[in-house]
Amino acid sequence: MPKQRISEHYPKAVIAGVVIAILLCLWGSFASYGSESDLQQQYRDPYMVSAQFTRLGGALSAIPEGAGIGYITDAPPGSGLEAGMFLSAQYVLAPRLLKRGAVAEWVLGNFSHPADFAAVGRSQGLLLQQDFGEGVVLFRKAQ
Amino acid sequence: MTGLIWVVEAILLGCLLVNRFAGLSVVRPAWARWSLICGAGAAVGIGLTSVLFFFCGSLLGMRAAALGIEVAVLAWAGYEVFRRRAPAPQPAKKKQTPLLVYIAAIGLLVALAMATAAIATSWDANPQGDWDAWAIWNLRARFLASGGALAQRAWSPVLGRSTHAEYPLLLSSFVARSWAFSHSFSTAVPAATSYAFFLALIALVAGGIAALRGPVLGLLAALALASTPALLHQVPSQYADMPLACYFAGAIVFALLDRPILAGIFAGCAAWTKDEGVLFLAVILAVTAALKRRAVLATLAGAAPAAAVAVIFKMWLARGNAGLLSTSLPGAGKRLADAGRYGVTLAAFGREFTGMGVGWYHPVLPLIALAVVLRFDRERRRDAAYCGALVGFLLLGYFGVYILTNNDLTWLLQSSLNRVLVQVWPVLVLAGFVALRVPQSAVIVKPVPLAAKARRKAR
Repeated sequence: MPKQRISEHYPKAVIAGVVIAILLCLWGSFASYGSESDLQQQYRDPYMVSAQFTRLGGALSAIPEGAGIGYITDAPPGSGLEAGMFLSAQYVLAPRLLKRGAVAEWVLGNFSHPADFAAVGRSQGLLLQQDFGEGVVLFRKAQ
Repeated sequence: MTGLIWVVEAILLGCLLVNRFAGLSVVRPAWARWSLICGAGAAVGIGLTSVLFFFCGSLLGMRAAALGIEVAVLAWAGYEVFRRRAPAPQPAKKKQTPLLVYIAAIGLLVALAMATAAIATSWDANPQGDWDAWAIWNLRARFLASGGALAQRAWSPVLGRSTHAEYPLLLSSFVARSWAFSHSFSTAVPAATSYAFFLALIALVAGGIAALRGPVLGLLAALALASTPALLHQVPSQYADMPLACYFAGAIVFALLDRPILAGIFAGCAAWTKDEGVLFLAVILAVTAALKRRAVLATLAGAAPAAAVAVIFKMWLARGNAGLLSTSLPGAGKRLADAGRYGVTLAAFGREFTGMGVGWYHPVLPLIALAVVLRFDRERRRDAAYCGALVGFLLLGYFGVYILTNNDLTWLLQSSLNRVLVQVWPVLVLAGFVALRVPQSAVIVKPVPLAAKARRKAR
């Protein structure tokens, strides 16, 4: 059987339409790249989650993995700051389980401003056990 | 970085199984076949290993068994593919690939390179992903990766509503598996998983449309998706919306290709990925029962394993956590009768749809250009109706949830509707491309002179 070469030729209108569609898509790709780069430069780790691994490093090694621990903070309850601080701390400290309030034997203090942490603990029936710096402290329930 | 080895292993396992069992060897052109095998392999491999790790590792506490089964199946599937490899076919006719296919392929490669560059800027700036990644999906993966009784914390009511401990666990369980097997919590694992789902989505749409409607439309459909700004933004977020979009599109592609078991596997995986996937499973079964009646049992059989894990998780393990619908039941009648909610939700749907682009670009523009030039094919009404019914019922379901919810409506629409549209967008693109006319071409057959062929051989 003799070999055959088959070639296909599209009408010019089809070629033009398809090329326009391709150019539109490429416009979208370049626009996406520009938009995404600008966005990421503007909002580099806005909740500073990566930094929490260093900040909470002391607490991470001091609290056993299986522990369920209480959690207190100076961030306004229900605020975005409070939710961000709590959830990023939970993410870094997992599988340790955080519970809001002084509700366990061990309580993590996660503060956004410097303060007399021992006094803050005493007001909630807690004794300061360790201050890891940068607003991270570990309390224990007073007997 | 060793976690990436386990991501690749899951994808390889999926590719071998799909190559062996999906019966895709008849799909033409060959690149479309391989595109489907790789796309389906990545999504099925991730889904399968996620289910296996959750069942053996998290529920039964036998991680070594999950690892052993994976490696054994990988070795067996690899051997089977090697044993059954077909001899290379001898083509009687040499078909010249049209220039338009090359142009579309180059366009797709450029778009994928730009997409990867855009995604990489985010990997660098936000390696932990966006809010829901570290507050929900990767947080729960850290619990699951810890093993023993600690894994159960992934669905503990103590986590609170903001962590959605009631959400299914396909993504978290897969990330946990790769972390556990590699003994590290590398941020590369969730990032690579999300990227793999993006590439799988592109491969499935390209291969599926190429097999159904020809290579030009296949490549253009993939290009339209790879250049959708809202879709690209979701890839580095490390949320479950990208995997869900991939499972939706895969289920529909295989339903259209008359591979109902594979379609069911994708729909089952969607149900094990996110609550919206449960709605999708119900919708695809209903629409298949109405329009492709003979395929419904096979679809159901394919969906059963992953859907069963999702049901076990929802009904028994996470029953202490209230879901969005159950918390929305009190006062639902009052909200349903509130006409203002319909207006607010409709306006938000319109606003978010127009916001899927960047600047003056909107991803619907290339589709409009093609629809104007190629127009629609009446003979594809059935496939278009199937895709259209799925999109319609899905959007109706989402709309109903927004009307019913007792959460602050404005906040919920702002924080979730853009992602919901990203889940559905690939299905809309599929519906559009399935209905388009194939570019009509004039075929010219030229015999290759035997003398010229002999001269070439002699040289």
